[in-house]
Amino acid sequence: MDTIRLESVSKIFRHRPALFGWLGHEKRGQTRALDKISLQVPGGSVLALLGPNGSGKTTLLRLISTVLLPDAGRVLIGDEDTRTAGTAIRQRVAFAITAERSFFPRLSARENLDFFAALDNVPRRRRAERIPALLEETGLSDHADTLVIKFSSGMYQRLGIARALVKQPSVILLDEPTRSLDPASAEDFWKLVQKSRDRGATIVVATHNFEEASALGDSLAVLQKGRLADYRDLNRTTNRELRSWYFDVTRELDAVPMAVGGWQ
Amino acid sequence: MSVARTADKFLVISLRDLRTAARYRTGFAISAAGTSIELAAFYYLSRAIGPGFRPEGVGYFPFLLVGTGLYTFMVMAMRAFVHCVQEAQQAGTMEVLMSSSTSAPVVVMLSAASALLGHSVQLTLYVGAGLLLFGVPVPAANWPGGLVVFGLSLLIAIALGMVAAALQIAIQKGSAVLWIIGSGAWFLTGTLFPVEALPKPLQFVAACIPLTHSLNAMRMALLQGASLGSLAPEIRALAFFALALLPLGLAVFSFCLRRARLQGTLAFY
Repeated sequence: MDTIRLESVSKIFRHRPALFGWLGHEKRGQTRALDKISLQVPGGSVLALLGPNGSGKTTLLRLISTVLLPDAGRVLIGDEDTRTAGTAIRQRVAFAITAERSFFPRLSARENLDFFAALDNVPRRRRAERIPALLEETGLSDHADTLVIKFSSGMYQRLGIARALVKQPSVILLDEPTRSLDPASAEDFWKLVQKSRDRGATIVVATHNFEEASALGDSLAVLQKGRLADYRDLNRTTNRELRSWYFDVTRELDAVPMAVGGWQ
Repeated sequence: MSVARTADKFLVISLRDLRTAARYRTGFAISAAGTSIELAAFYYLSRAIGPGFRPEGVGYFPFLLVGTGLYTFMVMAMRAFVHCVQEAQQAGTMEVLMSSSTSAPVVVMLSAASALLGHSVQLTLYVGAGLLLFGVPVPAANWPGGLVVFGLSLLIAIALGMVAAALQIAIQKGSAVLWIIGSGAWFLTGTLFPVEALPKPLQFVAACIPLTHSLNAMRMALLQGASLGSLAPEIRALAFFALALLPLGLAVFSFCLRRARLQGTLAFY
């Protein structure tokens, strides 16, 4: 079981405008996407990340997945630092990227899964067992041999999740995983996540859905403008306390622009 | 990483490319037609120039055939590296590929190797068809020598390809860099005419380009049947370029990849 630790992690994106300013206006300067975030996700637990758009949830997931490297601070998976042990970490971490443009459009669902599973070092024989099972679990078995170019957004979503689970990772990162799923598929999906947790996987899920987050998470973190606004251990909080805590936090966050900008 | 696992990855990558190519059905036919037209054009060009023009002591058509065949292969090989990064960036698969358990240089190398396999078949057909269809005599070709030259040229193409792929990641314009390299090489390396026709300073520049040595050695081996002893100076030059450029290519690629992970520009295109 891998523990995830973020130690005072900051991430800044610098904007580099075009050579000639008169060709058009572009944002200059930099965006501080994450600011000194410190957080620990114990092995085998689920952390739910909540926060408005642009609060830094996806950036945090991308840092854990090693797609991004921090500008300051450290991201540790087990005892390994993402800055120095990227390849070793990628063996164990799966980031469920579910965007339509993250698959090979002229390959079928089965062929896509086989391709990515091979790159994830899943042996051929295991792929032959795992892929049909995952297609079944994600409700895609009837479309296993359909070219993914013909898929709907919900199907891409499910395929992305199957792709992440095929190597049986010890860390699973999910970015709004039920965004395009109907309620029944969403429920099936959470059962799948539950199964991975029971197997000992550490899971970080970014979501806008408080109900889902509180039902599934062992802990809950709220991000706002790249900062950790609040954190709660759900095993030590009753449902009622949690609800009132979350609405207090979000009310405070909503109040920030008024306090800063002073508009009425 | 075990050989079996690498072979398995190469197989799935090649299958992906084959399946994708087969599902874009007209693409293959268009590319085959293009190659045939190019061959015919060179044949009639050499006929128009006449038999009197014999660069390096061989007929102009075989000179062109080997020159353009190898030049095209080298450029295609380098392009294969840029293309696999560019395609991943544009198709949106870049971040998924770069967050897989296979290290990024291996993913790029295997993807390029799959494309190279196709280009090698194309090169063999191109040169073979030219030699057979247009009745070019190959009196005593030194095939083993040609193979050594081909192998070393391939290593150089891989190294330069890694640099071009790195530039694609860093500045998203690797194909522009390739275009500059390709155009310069076309002009300077003796693809269409012997290097000796260039002014002295440009001949010096040409000697610093690995492709010049590849073309010269390949023509010597295939068209003049030069022995390994005669090929030795060119083989030494090619080996030097390969040894110097391969680690450089890998270092530049790793540096640009790390920089892109830091700047968050990995999937930019």
